[in-house]
Amino acid sequence: MANLVEIKEKKDIARKTPIEVFPDPKVAVILVNQQSGASNKALVSVGDAVSIGQKIADSTERVSAPVHSPISGKVTKIEKVYNSCFSDYTEAIFIEGDGKKTKAKEIIPITEAQLKDTPNETLIKIIREAGIVGMGGAGFPTSIKLSVPKDKPIKTLIVNGAEGEPYDTADERLMIEKTENLVRGVRVIRKLLGNPKLIVVTKESKVEAIPKLQAAFGKEPDTQVVAKHLTYQQGDAAMLQKAILGYEANPDKRSYEMGTIVQNVATINAIANAVFEGEPLISRVTTLNGDDIKQPKNLLVKIGTPVSDILNANGIKSAGQVVVGGVMMGNALQSLDAPLTKRTSSIIIFSKSKAKVKKSTACIRCARCISACPARLQPSLLYEAINKGNFEKAEKLWAKDCIACGSCSYVCPAGLPLTSTIRSIKG
Amino acid sequence: MSESSNELVVKPAPHISAPMTKTRLMQYTFFAILAVTIVSAATWSQVTTPSGWNLGLTVAIGALIAVGIAVGIDVLIGKFASDSELNVWSAMVFGLIVINCYTLGIPAMNSGQTGIPAEAPLAFFYIALIAAVGETVFKKVASTAGRKFVNPAAAAKFLVLLPAISTTFIISDHLKTGMLQVPALAGPLSPTEILGGNGGASFGTYLQGCYANPAMMASLPDIPSLMLLTKYHGWVGGASSIAVIIAGIALFVLARKYIKWKITVSYLISIAALSLIFSVIYGDADLTTRLLFEVFMGSSIFLAFFMATDPATTPLGGIGQIIFGVGLAVLTILIQTYMNFFGGALLALLIMNLTVPLLDRVNIRKPFGR
Repeated sequence: MANLVEIKEKKDIARKTPIEVFPDPKVAVILVNQQSGASNKALVSVGDAVSIGQKIADSTERVSAPVHSPISGKVTKIEKVYNSCFSDYTEAIFIEGDGKKTKAKEIIPITEAQLKDTPNETLIKIIREAGIVGMGGAGFPTSIKLSVPKDKPIKTLIVNGAEGEPYDTADERLMIEKTENLVRGVRVIRKLLGNPKLIVVTKESKVEAIPKLQAAFGKEPDTQVVAKHLTYQQGDAAMLQKAILGYEANPDKRSYEMGTIVQNVATINAIANAVFEGEPLISRVTTLNGDDIKQPKNLLVKIGTPVSDILNANGIKSAGQVVVGGVMMGNALQSLDAPLTKRTSSIIIFSKSKAKVKKSTACIRCARCISACPARLQPSLLYEAINKGNFEKAEKLWAKDCIACGSCSYVCPAGLPLTSTIRSIKG
Repeated sequence: MSESSNELVVKPAPHISAPMTKTRLMQYTFFAILAVTIVSAATWSQVTTPSGWNLGLTVAIGALIAVGIAVGIDVLIGKFASDSELNVWSAMVFGLIVINCYTLGIPAMNSGQTGIPAEAPLAFFYIALIAAVGETVFKKVASTAGRKFVNPAAAAKFLVLLPAISTTFIISDHLKTGMLQVPALAGPLSPTEILGGNGGASFGTYLQGCYANPAMMASLPDIPSLMLLTKYHGWVGGASSIAVIIAGIALFVLARKYIKWKITVSYLISIAALSLIFSVIYGDADLTTRLLFEVFMGSSIFLAFFMATDPATTPLGGIGQIIFGVGLAVLTILIQTYMNFFGGALLALLIMNLTVPLLDRVNIRKPFGR
């Protein structure tokens, strides 16, 4: 298929490395806002004692997701730290651990047998109260995504196991090690959506995950497990729908209007943990990898663990660049004090020699960006228009349809910051 | 760890990039054209022109002059204008194109060509002048205006030789009314006979007189082998069409997706189709003579692979590139047929270059889902 750039996966060792539990941080740094949507307010003050899973920030707005304490201990301060979700310094709650394992039992789980008799409202409430957001990077509150209007029937649920970002293998390991948990989570989602057809999609390169998925999901009704060659760009929900179902969804329409919901693996895992274990989203699997990392890891880390803790524990003494959430779409950390967020699917370290800012030169008009854009935009023309301040033209060139995949910048031989420039005017 | 925090590289995503860079693209292009130049020089080293210069040596020296001047000016301007981007590889590619689109070699049938000096030492002066004008005016000055609008080598050659246009491009010998009574393309052609009073010799004989090795007129090669394998007059870069095609395709493969091959393909298909149509219209004796000439003459085949695809002066969109290639073919055929301007692809290219801002507006692809 045209307009899809092949990018080396660089997952060889990481994908074979089992998930390892990373110890709790001594001081957890919980960003008050990690979701897209309405802003949260802290519910605790300095000096308060908190327990594991206690809700510590929330909003009264509908499109929101609360955050919880990952450890038990005491709030020592509330101040701004670098937030990779927004590339900015935002409020965070610092919790010093007391080493105890006091758990707040705020979410009442159900058993698998109870699922079919549990009202959808209860399930949505659990998902919301657990603070679950899209963990593939978007951070959109999952409770809202799964509250589909009654007049919009969902025909297909796609489990997105493509994990297109190079280096990242957290989802792949979940598919290998937590397959049964994913099946449970998918059952919850299918119930919420009125039992649509299920398609579990993964890449043919995930050789260990494919048989596990086939075995576990093979028993589910009206289910297909699809393992095919997918490029990085096809990990995007819209591109994946095209690859699997054949249609191109209008970017102005919400996903459910096409009768399809695409849900990412890590998010499904979090749903299962919340509904059946009563565990809010306080930990996630993240891949630690990079150009000079001899032994990449997949770590189950408490959200709020400072990135520096993870690097120190793994003997990483110097780094030229630290990217969280994927090398194609993720954020380059400004500070290693930045904590892990719900959206940190990976921590990728580039050595000092590799992490050079590429000097950009003038556009040579090779048009490679145009043939590389999966959204079929004309990045070089957009770039030119935006740099000239001609936003009207940029709008006519569909700047708002950019999916931020980074393919244009990736291929540009002149090293131009095409993606970030085009994204800079997207509302 | 914390003290090194402030040294972290912070930049927007994506954080990895494809291996292809502008410099690498230029290097690939340079070596592809260099291969063509070496084949031309080697082929032509068998010939000594009336002035006593070895033609292969002329090519080699001419290449050094063109590349040297282009790089020299690039470095010089880079020194004095700090905002000017130093681009040595690009200058080297330009220099090679200058020598390859220069016309060298005195045809056996020519009785004393006027205008464009097709042999050393005067040729060196013109090559130097074209390189200097092209690098300064059409590369450096044009770049300050945003982007290059015309192919620098083509524009420089055209400008330098413009004062002598009636004697250089439209050589009187090339006309059926001229001294040698060369058949006009706007008339019936034949590889062996004179058709319908078109010229004083058959077109095939003209091609042999024009392109064969002047030292070996006793055993003339057939027209297909002249046009495809070795010519001893014309664009340096067209000495061997097969070498151009091999080097060109190698470059397409090496720099896959970074070279506008659609222009080359649409141009070659169009020029072949138009040649066949003109053959039928004018009642040629066969369908290959005109076709071989139009497609494989040096200005056509070298330009198709290495000049018409110049990224800066060609359309961005795929459809635009195809229109560009077709337009280039149509103009080339018209100029060669009705202006008797053999090598008309050069002028056609300059005209098509100017249409690029318009062709950039042609975009038939709709964004995803629209």
